[in-house]
Amino acid sequence: MTRLPVKPGERLPVKPGERLPAQPGERLARDRVVGFTFDGRSVQGYEGDTVASALYASGQRTFSRSFKYHRRRGLLCCAGQCPNCIVAVDGAPGARACTEPIREGMRVEHLNASPTLEFDAMRAVDVVGSSLTPPGFYYKTFIRPRKLWPVYEKVLRHAAGLGRVARRHTDRAWRTEYRRRHADVLVVGGGVSGLRAAASAAELGADVVLVDEGPQPGGAAAQDGRHLTAGPLEEQAIAAGVEILTGATALGYFDGIVPVWQGRTLHQVRAQQHVFATGTIEQPLVFSGNDMPGVMLSGCARRLAALYAVKPGHRAVVATTSDRGLEAAMSLHEIGVEVAAVADLRQQSGVAAETLRKLGIEVLPGHAVVEAQGRKAVQKATLAPVDARAPSSERAFDCDLVVISGGFVPCTSLLCQAGAKTRYDPERGHFVLGELPAHVHAAGEVAGAEDAESSGKLAGLEAAHLIGMGDLSSRQEADELRARMAELAERLASVLAPPAVCGERSGKCFVCHCEDVTAKDIRQSIAEGYDSIELCKRYTTITMGPCQGRMCELQAVRLMAQEIGRNLSDVGTTTARPPATPVPMGVLAGPPFEPAKRSAIHGRHRELRANVMWAGDWRRPYDYGDPEGEVMAVHRAAGLIDVSTLGKLLVRGPDAGEFLDRLYPNRLSNLKPGRIRYGVINTDAGRIVDDGTICRLDEETFYVTTTSSGAGAVEEWFSWWLTDWDLRVYMTDVTQGLAAVNLAGPRVREIMAEVTDLDCSNEAFAYLDGKRALVAGVGCLILRIGFVGELGYEIHCPAAHGEHLWDALLEAGAPFGIRPFGLEPQRVLRLQKMHILVGQDTDSESTPFAAAMPWIVKLDKEEDFIGRWALERYSSDTPATTLVGFTLADGQAPTEGAVVLDGAHAPIGQVTSSRFSPVLGRVIGMAWVPAGLASDGERVTIADQDRTLRAEVRTKPFYDPEGEVLRS
Amino acid sequence: MSFVLRCPNCGPREVTDFGFGGEVIRRPRFRPSFRELNSYNYFRVNVAGVQREWWFHRSGCRAWFIAERDTTTNEVLFTARPHEVGAEGNRDQ
Amino acid sequence: MSLGFLDVEAAVKSERFSPVARSPMERLARAAGGQFEIRDGWAVAVSYGSAEREAETVTRAAGWADTSHLGKLELQAEPELLEAIVASNASAPFELGCAHRAAGAWWCPLAPSRLLVVCDPGRLAPVRGLLEQAVGASDVPGSLVDVTTVLAALTIVGPAAREMFARFCAIDLRAGATPPGAVRPGSVARQPGVVLCEGEDRFTMLFGWAVAEYVWRQVDEAGRHLGAGPVGVDALRPLAAPVEVSSGA
Repeated sequence: MTRLPVKPGERLPVKPGERLPAQPGERLARDRVVGFTFDGRSVQGYEGDTVASALYASGQRTFSRSFKYHRRRGLLCCAGQCPNCIVAVDGAPGARACTEPIREGMRVEHLNASPTLEFDAMRAVDVVGSSLTPPGFYYKTFIRPRKLWPVYEKVLRHAAGLGRVARRHTDRAWRTEYRRRHADVLVVGGGVSGLRAAASAAELGADVVLVDEGPQPGGAAAQDGRHLTAGPLEEQAIAAGVEILTGATALGYFDGIVPVWQGRTLHQVRAQQHVFATGTIEQPLVFSGNDMPGVMLSGCARRLAALYAVKPGHRAVVATTSDRGLEAAMSLHEIGVEVAAVADLRQQSGVAAETLRKLGIEVLPGHAVVEAQGRKAVQKATLAPVDARAPSSERAFDCDLVVISGGFVPCTSLLCQAGAKTRYDPERGHFVLGELPAHVHAAGEVAGAEDAESSGKLAGLEAAHLIGMGDLSSRQEADELRARMAELAERLASVLAPPAVCGERSGKCFVCHCEDVTAKDIRQSIAEGYDSIELCKRYTTITMGPCQGRMCELQAVRLMAQEIGRNLSDVGTTTARPPATPVPMGVLAGPPFEPAKRSAIHGRHRELRANVMWAGDWRRPYDYGDPEGEVMAVHRAAGLIDVSTLGKLLVRGPDAGEFLDRLYPNRLSNLKPGRIRYGVINTDAGRIVDDGTICRLDEETFYVTTTSSGAGAVEEWFSWWLTDWDLRVYMTDVTQGLAAVNLAGPRVREIMAEVTDLDCSNEAFAYLDGKRALVAGVGCLILRIGFVGELGYEIHCPAAHGEHLWDALLEAGAPFGIRPFGLEPQRVLRLQKMHILVGQDTDSESTPFAAAMPWIVKLDKEEDFIGRWALERYSSDTPATTLVGFTLADGQAPTEGAVVLDGAHAPIGQVTSSRFSPVLGRVIGMAWVPAGLASDGERVTIADQDRTLRAEVRTKPFYDPEGEVLRS
Repeated sequence: MSFVLRCPNCGPREVTDFGFGGEVIRRPRFRPSFRELNSYNYFRVNVAGVQREWWFHRSGCRAWFIAERDTTTNEVLFTARPHEVGAEGNRDQ
Repeated sequence: MSLGFLDVEAAVKSERFSPVARSPMERLARAAGGQFEIRDGWAVAVSYGSAEREAETVTRAAGWADTSHLGKLELQAEPELLEAIVASNASAPFELGCAHRAAGAWWCPLAPSRLLVVCDPGRLAPVRGLLEQAVGASDVPGSLVDVTTVLAALTIVGPAAREMFARFCAIDLRAGATPPGAVRPGSVARQPGVVLCEGEDRFTMLFGWAVAEYVWRQVDEAGRHLGAGPVGVDALRPLAAPVEVSSGA
């Protein structure tokens, strides 16, 4: 950041807007000027300014155009709550100008106005087109003639939404990182009560995180003259070890996790206790023209003056339901704003009004503001008695500022998400917190407490006590505070609830600024039958805009209660759902986590320029560029494939054999050490879930391999049953610990002779033998199996030696024409042998009988096994469909998934695998067909997109049907 | 869904550490009728409320355990090793 | 048939073959400037060019070292046998979540019937001998499996170590919750793993051999913004003798 340092007394080279003299709590560093642009115009502010304060100081009054009617909108809350100042910063839409600190060179642009913020063509919707856009207009006015819908749709799509997201990925890429933060106590809200809660919990030894949206903690104290309280409290909290996150927003409450968005970091805070000191939100009043620039909440006016030394206007009219508005009038007067009149909605104004009157300010009790008028911003406000029966004494005042205060509602959104309940309190005129879950605490104004410090301290102590901290004296203190808070609560003065609508004259009367919903729209919604708050919400979209109901929910409920003649408790509130604050999707998406498993030999595959593909969660070579050549190398010489992805499970213990007998439908306990058997795992419903080979290493040890994608599930399945069976069995998943390669082809014996002393003759090392030996100097387990149909050895070694083994085999095999082969050639080779791929050729309904493997089920076993009862039934039934092989006389391989048709072109089955076999010179495949067609020579029709293919059924492997090659 | 489960071996972990094994069901001890077999294979109580269920600490100790959880609030009432909860946790009783 | 095919030390050097055991992160370590030496049959990244800079990284922020060559043994047996083994070899109780350092190894109880022993590479054979003997002498069954190459490892050291973990691991690693000697099985970078706190600001993280490349990238991503970087194993100080025993999982 480049700054312009200014020496004291030196005249600034540029003028960062009109400012008041230094204010006691202001956030400005007046010796540092920061420049940025707004819609291309260069603007200066001081360090510490927000985009909104700098712009306001420079004279800007219109900050955005409204969602539907494109009306001018100015600052309303200046606290990041309302939608009025949403802008795009450096191309990213959705920033709130009133909370976004200025940075040198930042590019700020308005949203939702075209061609310019000053002249917006869509304003026509407000002037002439409002009758076309009642609630739910997109279901009503733009549906006929139907032919024109594509045009309407285009226009409406263009008109909808706020801002544009950059199309190109690089233009909208930014980095958000997740940061996990465990804590004992999370405090949301850094006002006086939040700081006090954090400090007192931390002082008892709790690990505390405090989150505050502002650039520094302080909350309401910062703007209302209590800034001297907040500072020392912050220091006390820091001294006690509290981690304070500023400029950070708590987005929601998800089963105990509170995601906190702070710039480029999304903190995932997992705390045991939660203190919400989220304060209150000042409510607007509903009257004609209440959305006009220049109409602002009292807090907004005070923040502009106190924090940023900006004079909010020259001549003000104030309308309020409480003393807060009177205090604001006093503050405005003090900074030189002429206060033309104060409308106090209460009939009795009390002491504060007297003080104002003494200063010559007119206070009108029992009056409200009924209309604001002006062209680009407010120029006139009309005040009238609240009580319609009162003699009319309507008076209009010229002004450039209308300060309103419709009361303060607790900011309970996060609390409700955390399980708190609210109830309507007629004494307070709004919904207040009811019951709280044990781990949730509320402190300060959100809890209705006027003594922020005591309330915060109590919440902090209670949170710490609940996690076992504190002592007798802290508990006594908590008891005293609790009693005091209860006593104070008794004495709270009642609060006036303003009328649902203060005045409805010629201009529109907005209940919801975000979505441009007027009082009239709500009435219409009720008239059309949407007369519950949840229905009205969905129909008018009220509470669904960026403010998430902060500014409109109570007004909507109040208006609905009035219109349908019920009380507010009965109308209720809408459900609080996360996110509590709008958040860019990119923040939630976070950094990419794309776990990939790679074989220990993977680096070699890359060097050999393999085409790499995803296979489950593994990265595997699809081929090395020549799938047919690789297939032929296996048939004619030798091939080497990395099969490290196979699941590998050690099952050990005195009862290991019995354990496997119970899990597999065939018998494994009688397998001799050093021998291998194929097995299929079934569910108790008799459906195939996985397959693989089992090698018995010694009396008590079995080496079970599974499919590549099934390793984890098989281990879980086995250990699940083991929890139930009283067997002495131990399992270890060694999948990732062992590299494995399959060396296959007619010349592999010669290659083995180069790398091992083991006798690999057919006599000494028969088909389905498993042996341990040194291969290329590395301890290996060698399994003679034949997934690809040629003489082959599957060699398993420690993963750390995988690359060494691979290199040694390729080097030793080079004179014999060895080639590495990938997954695709392997698929062709296995299909020639009709070896099924579980999950491709079978699905969740396939039984071993239907999958043409009845021989795998040994129903003559005495013991029970998983799937036995179901398989007993299936053994006597003829399956509806059966897995068979097929060949095509000519033509291309059909798509996997193509449909098998009967004579009448009705679908009767589907193709699961199909490939062109280079060694056989034709297309082969596997398909499910009706059992009646499952014999050699039957003809079936395959419909593949627009092709119709004639295929012939085969039930025996296409290549080496009797397995002579395998056993030789 | 981001609640915490206490693994009896490893202690409290995020739910994403675990695999869900479904509600605790009982495998028939003796040869079931076809109806019993189908009910065991395909029917679940699917309670809206407290249920006993299997969890697997997939990212940690890789052990199965039993949890009692309110399916409407995700509140976990307790977790225990299968043998610690006795008959109720056992599919074979 | 023994399980020697899982055993890196079963390799035999001959005129024709000289097998070297390699970490799954070797290529990434080399790309980052790692310099390798053969130690105990392993190619080990011993430094990244400047011992001074690595020491500085470890003192100021954090460094991560590929320690996949650490010996790892898994013993499953009846709880009584495991308790006796930990008592006699580490003079400590068998308490889940609490690892003990003895005989050049960490004795980590992971479940009532499962013990993981993580040892310096040179100590693998003697520790294995101890365990084999203990199981052999007992009349209850047990299963001892060399899982050295099932689990890859990174040792992360330095004041920023915990902040680094916070970027990819949800386990509570605050000093109070995970003191030296604590062992925490759980998800790291969304993969099954084990985090072992070896000392103040020093953690060894175990994870699947096949996901090592991915985990390295996650650690690198987390560490880069915190000023952390890869360091050679020579930048790791030898572990002091018995570390204070922690409590509770």
